Amino acid sequence: MNTIKNKYIGVILLSFFSIVSFAQDAKNDLMLSMGYYNNNNLTQYLVAHAKTKIDGKFQMVPDVTIKFFINNDSAATNLLGTAVTNDKGDAVLMMPPSAKAEWMKSVKHTFAIVSTPTKLYDEAKGTVDVSKAKLKIDTTDDKKIIVTLLELKDTAWVPVKGVDLKVAIKRLDGDLNVNETATFTTDSTGTITAEFKRDSLPGDKDGNLTLIAKVEDNDIYGNLTAEKVVKWGSKFEYVSQFDKRTLFARRGHSPWWLELLAYTIVVSVWSVLIYLIGQIRKIKKLGV
Amino acid sequence: MENLEKEQIVQDLLPQEFGKQGKIWVACLIALCLIGFAAYCHQLSKGLVVTAMRDYASWGIYISNFVFFVAISLVGSLITAVLRLTDVHWSTPLTRIAEIIAVSAITFASIIIVVDMGRPDRFYNLFLHGRLQSPIVWDVIVITTYFFISLLLLYFPLLPDLKIMLKYKERTSKWMYKLYSFLGSFWKDKPEQFKITDKAINILSITIIPVAFSIHTVTSWLFATTYRPGWDSTNFGAYFISGAFLVGSGGVLVAMYVFRSHYNLKKYITYDHFDKMGKVVVMLALLYLYFNVNEFLVPAFKMKKPEEEHLRGLFTGEFAPIFWFAITTSMLLPILILVTKKGRRPFPAFIAGILVVIGSWFKRYIIVTPTLLHPFLPMRDVPANYHHYFPTWEEWAICIGSLAGALLVITFFARIFPIIPIHETITETEEHEHDKK
Repeated sequence: MNTIKNKYIGVILLSFFSIVSFAQDAKNDLMLSMGYYNNNNLTQYLVAHAKTKIDGKFQMVPDVTIKFFINNDSAATNLLGTAVTNDKGDAVLMMPPSAKAEWMKSVKHTFAIVSTPTKLYDEAKGTVDVSKAKLKIDTTDDKKIIVTLLELKDTAWVPVKGVDLKVAIKRLDGDLNVNETATFTTDSTGTITAEFKRDSLPGDKDGNLTLIAKVEDNDIYGNLTAEKVVKWGSKFEYVSQFDKRTLFARRGHSPWWLELLAYTIVVSVWSVLIYLIGQIRKIKKLGV
Repeated sequence: MENLEKEQIVQDLLPQEFGKQGKIWVACLIALCLIGFAAYCHQLSKGLVVTAMRDYASWGIYISNFVFFVAISLVGSLITAVLRLTDVHWSTPLTRIAEIIAVSAITFASIIIVVDMGRPDRFYNLFLHGRLQSPIVWDVIVITTYFFISLLLLYFPLLPDLKIMLKYKERTSKWMYKLYSFLGSFWKDKPEQFKITDKAINILSITIIPVAFSIHTVTSWLFATTYRPGWDSTNFGAYFISGAFLVGSGGVLVAMYVFRSHYNLKKYITYDHFDKMGKVVVMLALLYLYFNVNEFLVPAFKMKKPEEEHLRGLFTGEFAPIFWFAITTSMLLPILILVTKKGRRPFPAFIAGILVVIGSWFKRYIIVTPTLLHPFLPMRDVPANYHHYFPTWEEWAICIGSLAGALLVITFFARIFPIIPIHETITETEEHEHDKK
């Protein structure tokens, strides 16, 4: 009898814990990752990315509030700021001027991010380590681009060997490689040399093109870019079609042939109608 | 004998007062118009949000109704102009029916396009800021022109009849007599007057054909100049015109039967007229069917991805019931009915005419809305109801009200003026008698 009773109690307890465990499973795991960006040695910012796995597929998580810290995520003084993820799961934080003192203390930093818990997600954390580095871009008269990667060691900038980087021209929808080589690797002097092979590429009205050198998603240095404007493009003169007579032009600027055709037809047909109205007057006079 | 016959024709064809049935008919039409007007007032106060039109289906049954009205108005040019210029005399009793259908339809086409505007008070901007390159501006020009030509084509042949009606003062009310006097008291049956009128009618008959072709070609270009699945077609002008002639002829068949039975015009609208008009409808239905095959078979053979979705929607999808209903009722059934001699008798021909008109209205809906619900880019981030379109009660009430309004114009015209030209009928009868002798 006791054995049967114990079995019932066991089944009830098992059911209870199952329900509890299902309830706990209702929350998904939030995964945070982070990237460090230094654009043209001028703008520094951090990008946090939030995602989760639902039905075996990764999905971006919007509307997650994320706190950004430098070096230590437990000290309120190290808080850089907060940002909320967008539809793509990205939260961007520009490095505030108040972080300068902390930034100058060391040549290496660890950035940390912590998400605020919500009904759907528990708190999650992420970190990224960054060594201070910079890119230098220079050009020669024979259209060669020299890019040097330097890392700050103690107080001196030293060249870095064996890092992949890209050299390209900035265009409207993305970057265009300067030649057929997609990626270059720095030599012992931290330098790469790329030949510019995009002659007659349209630039602005003065023929200006913007060259860009990039280190992307590097484990030590993060994302670095350097830019330089050169007059290597062909001059592009924008010719406005606004005042031209075209089918797609604004009012009063239709092509001459259309105006001639349309007005000729309208005037001809309405002349006939006016003539016929005149005929009614004539009939009227005949009847008086 | 000749005088007696002439007198009999006049007595038969003079406008008649509304009987009990006529009064009920008019009351129903006025009620429908008032409901439509009330719905429009509601739409004016609340805005187009009361309709089911949204970002994608931005043209609904208002535009379908507009295309339908423009289409049916083309019959004026077919019966009056084409048949007159080709020296076909059997259509004489039908010319005025065709012209009044044309005038009332084109009037309501103009009205319904204003109804489709969210802010009708800004209509004048179309004239102030309209671009000559836009088919919408062309449409405004040709609709106005066609309206005036149709009015003149209605007026010139009416002049001799006005004199006849003025003679029968006892058969008219005071205000009608005043109207007849205003419109035609100067008509004295002088040969010079006839000469001018005949010349004017000939000029109008020639002018109305290119204008009629323009009006519906331009209406088709409102669609065809837009790059969308289902509209991106070079066939659209001819496709629309053939469909317009069909629906107009169907409308004439219906009107012939109604006027014949209601006004007892069996001597004037004969079996022969139904037989000939029935044959015209069969020919036009076959022509329209041919253009439909062109319109759907060619893209269906190629099945380009965006077209595929649209065509599947029509053939087997969401719009299939309406699509096949429209094809069957506007073309297949009328052909089957009217292809036999028995089918071209008045009543079956009347049924075929009704089928053509109803089917053609739905055909216009099929042309307008499904394309809008199948854009090239997928519909994203929009509420679920944006994916479908079903008109609201306001839209139905306004459309039915406009159709009732067009019928009301025809009804009042038939009450005031002879629906069969009296003078032309007398002349043709006299010529016929003369030929016999």
